Amino acid sequence: MTDLISIPLVAFPLIASMILLAFVSNGNARMRARLVGPVRMACLVFSLLMLVLTTGMFFRYFGDVTWMDIGFNEYEFEHKYTWIESLGINWAVGLDALSFPMVWLTTFLLPVTIIATWNEKHGATYFPLLLMMGGALIGVFVSLDLFMFYVFWELTLIPMFFLILKWGGKDRKYASQKFFIYTFTASVVMLLGLITLYFLQDPYSLASSGTMTGRSFSIPELIDNARANNIGDNWYLGAQMQKILFVMLMIGFLVKLPAVPFHTWLPDAHVQAPTGGSMLLAGVMLKMGAYGMFRLPISLFPHALYHFQLALMIIGMVSLVWGAIVCLGQTNLKKMVAYSSVSHMGVILIGIATMQPMGWAAALFMMFAHGIISPMLFAVCGAFKHHYHSMEIGAMRGMAKHSPWLATSMMFAWMASLGLPLLAGFVAEIMMLIALWKMISLDGWSIWWMVGPALVLALTAAYYLWSMQRTIFEGGEDTQPPASMKGHAIPDISNSEKFAMLILALFTIIFGVLPWIALDMMDDWTIQAFEGLIIPLLRGGV
Amino acid sequence: MSEISTVENVEPFGDGFIAALCPELIIFAGLLALIIIPNIGKGTFRIPGTQTRVMWLFGGERFKITSNPKLPAWIATITLGAAFVQTVLSFQDGVDRTAIVTESGTQLLLVNGFSRVFEMIFFGALTLAAFASMNRLEVKGIGPKLSTDDLYNNRRQADFYILMLTCGLGMSVVALAQDLFVLFIGLELASFSTYVLVAFYKESKVGTEAGMKYFIVGSVASGVGLYGLSMLYLWAGSLQFDVLAAQFIINGTDPLPLIGIGFVLVGFGFKVSAAPFHFAAPDAYAGASSPVAGILATASKAMGIIGLIRMLLIVASPEASEDGTVWLTLLGTISIVTMTWGNIAALGSTNPKRMLAYSSVAHAGYMLAAITAIGAWNWDDSLAGEPGEAAVAVLTAVIFHLVVLVAFKLGAFLVLSVLESDGDASRLSSLGGLAKREPFLAVAMFVFMISLAGVPPLAGFVSKLLVIMGIVKVAIGQMGAEIMAGGDYGLADVHWVWWLALAMVINSAISMFYYLRVGVVMFFEEPEEGRTGPLPAGWQVRFAILACLMATLFMGVASDQLLEICEVAAKSLNYSWN
Repeated sequence: MTDLISIPLVAFPLIASMILLAFVSNGNARMRARLVGPVRMACLVFSLLMLVLTTGMFFRYFGDVTWMDIGFNEYEFEHKYTWIESLGINWAVGLDALSFPMVWLTTFLLPVTIIATWNEKHGATYFPLLLMMGGALIGVFVSLDLFMFYVFWELTLIPMFFLILKWGGKDRKYASQKFFIYTFTASVVMLLGLITLYFLQDPYSLASSGTMTGRSFSIPELIDNARANNIGDNWYLGAQMQKILFVMLMIGFLVKLPAVPFHTWLPDAHVQAPTGGSMLLAGVMLKMGAYGMFRLPISLFPHALYHFQLALMIIGMVSLVWGAIVCLGQTNLKKMVAYSSVSHMGVILIGIATMQPMGWAAALFMMFAHGIISPMLFAVCGAFKHHYHSMEIGAMRGMAKHSPWLATSMMFAWMASLGLPLLAGFVAEIMMLIALWKMISLDGWSIWWMVGPALVLALTAAYYLWSMQRTIFEGGEDTQPPASMKGHAIPDISNSEKFAMLILALFTIIFGVLPWIALDMMDDWTIQAFEGLIIPLLRGGV
Repeated sequence: MSEISTVENVEPFGDGFIAALCPELIIFAGLLALIIIPNIGKGTFRIPGTQTRVMWLFGGERFKITSNPKLPAWIATITLGAAFVQTVLSFQDGVDRTAIVTESGTQLLLVNGFSRVFEMIFFGALTLAAFASMNRLEVKGIGPKLSTDDLYNNRRQADFYILMLTCGLGMSVVALAQDLFVLFIGLELASFSTYVLVAFYKESKVGTEAGMKYFIVGSVASGVGLYGLSMLYLWAGSLQFDVLAAQFIINGTDPLPLIGIGFVLVGFGFKVSAAPFHFAAPDAYAGASSPVAGILATASKAMGIIGLIRMLLIVASPEASEDGTVWLTLLGTISIVTMTWGNIAALGSTNPKRMLAYSSVAHAGYMLAAITAIGAWNWDDSLAGEPGEAAVAVLTAVIFHLVVLVAFKLGAFLVLSVLESDGDASRLSSLGGLAKREPFLAVAMFVFMISLAGVPPLAGFVSKLLVIMGIVKVAIGQMGAEIMAGGDYGLADVHWVWWLALAMVINSAISMFYYLRVGVVMFFEEPEEGRTGPLPAGWQVRFAILACLMATLFMGVASDQLLEICEVAAKSLNYSWN
């Protein structure tokens, strides 16, 4: 079967974006201004082609893959090429039910982001950077080799750094550098963990071991090896090492997620980032952290996961509650949405920490649902900023009258994010709550663990409804345009923004009403993962 | 790819001498050409007693081509380039192992994979620097109407490139030497050339000062080294590496050899700019013209590393003692101090050249950490694993790092060189708006910076990864197999060099601050007053930058070939490792 991933989904966007960048940066200012249109169109077409490909993959048009029954640690569209033989590094790609929704989400968000920010008068390099971002993100999700995974993991930082730095707000320099250094620091610790893991392998025990080092970077082989050794009370790599490595890897992923107390880069980056950057950052880049947790520490070190279950639960709860409390105090619309992301990422951590299949499925679905809803939140914020030149919640009142489209989109996005039934976010949240109940009743945890989520349900509703009340409804007929408009008439959002909002809203509804479209494969992966990972620990044998 | 396993002894000017020392002989020929060719003129010689005048080419009015001030640069570039190509080609089908011996059979020079790789580094760096320097040394044209200053400028072209060639010659002698004294001669030849090269930057006031500082501190360091050398001679009666190594196994823990080795290491520590011997480096780098500073940061540093490797891994070899070597703790401490000091000092420096100098100090720390790890490879009988294997892995990483460093460190200095010809590159704001003035240079500089920081998929990432991998490999050894057999080990059981790896990754994160700052200034700050126009032309320097850029990208994604070469080199340092 031809390789549908390496070139079309990873190499193509990266190379195409670099060519476009080189092309546009070589002209004078006038020529560059004239190139904006064609380059933007090219990026849209490229990203749409990628969306067609991944959608085709889902509908079994390309390659007859049934996403519902892929076993744990088995991959579809798998391809492997030797990269650095002496170190056991391969270019290995593949998809499973864990990574495919993320890949589809990336390809879906790329054109939507381009459309949503179509008219924001960005330079010609903006859209190629978005495309490059997409290629790097997909690279993270499809790689089945630790080295390749790390390369793409870091590569995502570069386009995002430039997106924030070039088109960001007032404090963009501070925010972009903080973002880069924060996540870079965490990921070099993760890198040291990966290398320690690499050298802890039994030499030449894995098929793709390097000729010089005798160790392998292959993720599937490592997971298989770990599974064979994580049986009963037997810890893969021994109890001490497994715990140390689990912590080192989790540092990288928790900062990326981000979880409290590592979250402070996120509000800065989001508030300063341009709309498109925020949309991709919240939509996909945060999910890299959750994805990485499932792919590496959880799959390799389930013993340590049990060991640190309480710690993860606490971090998750604190993120959930703290994020929500901070939201209440925000006067900046975008900062509020950013902290709500922190809160929602707490849901993912709690889902993982419940150690219930339902909880893991909730985490997976949360990754996906938040990936559709949060770009809409940021698109709304971006439109708000774009049209009213302000981000303050009180700046624009009575929006329902002046800008009905923006008001409707805002209301819809806010409702989706606070977990209105029949919208995608609700499915994930209710699953998480059920999993938490199950954990409490089956594993004998204290009932008090329900207090956090219950509190947050109320808090979330409070901050969203309160901000809506202050922007959409308050003031009514008598409102004057904000001072930042300098007396200009108040416009509603543009057609491309309307279109992007509609698409995002449509998919929020689709995945809220018919969650099984994505949930089935996630459920299946979770069950397989439990059978492959957790059951052997509990029963002491496969 | 491998090395021919038996050594062939060749006497000077015997069979195979030319083939073995081909790169050096090319340099030597180039040196002669550089001295002679620019002096060729229309001079004639009248045979006494007759009216016949014979053309003998010396003196008189020079030909148009020989008086071209650009000619020395071309001769030097072609010579160094030819030597570089020659060394690269020697890897194509197995490296010959040839020793140049005296009549009594003592090895003076040894040509093998190890020395070939270092020759490759030296000649590669010098070729690029010489080529790029064509745009640096001012040339005001040719002709009788030139002022004295201009004539003087034309004249010093040849001097500059002669020094480049002697520098290359000295460095390659260091790589080849099998005798500590020969090594020191090479080191001094190269050092004296670099002292003058640093002071050659006369367009700026700081040049002479920097040259003077570098010279004084450098000669003190060399003096201390020579003193140590004399102690070693007193102790062993010879300065041959193998004799010293054999002696060290017998009575290496006596004070005399330890003090002697310590003194020698001071000399090399200065060359690699390891703390606390690094104080002259930032001044020298900042005061030298950028291509020369690039040589100091790449080739000259590689030369110091050779000295360290020979002294620490051959003479005071880890095999000589049971549980790690005598210098292990000391070197480990120095490495952490060096990398941290370098990075923290770089954070505060606003002069890009000083910043690069401190980043060079930090990189020296990383390499010292790697060498420390080699010293630890036999730390525990049951856990350390195959002795040579780990040493080769780490040494491969060090050599790989030195090779790719030429691409991005020198490349960064060359970008600064273009700015220097524009006026000044001593403030961070000199880089302001570079992206608008010349996008190619800004992109190249950004790539070099993040490669220095170790961001994938660039060469700097692979080299840093390899070094960390080497250290971790030594620290963990056979623990994996032991764990599989049912053992339970934690970080407390891992050798302490593992923490050097942690120090390295944390330092990489610190270094991110100042590398990124360069990118921010180039892309998002306005140019300085009066520096908005296009940069001075010069295709040579841009070509050299392009070559560095290509190498940085290529070695990052396709490092397999180079890695094999480096492995051959590492294996051939100490044949008992195989």
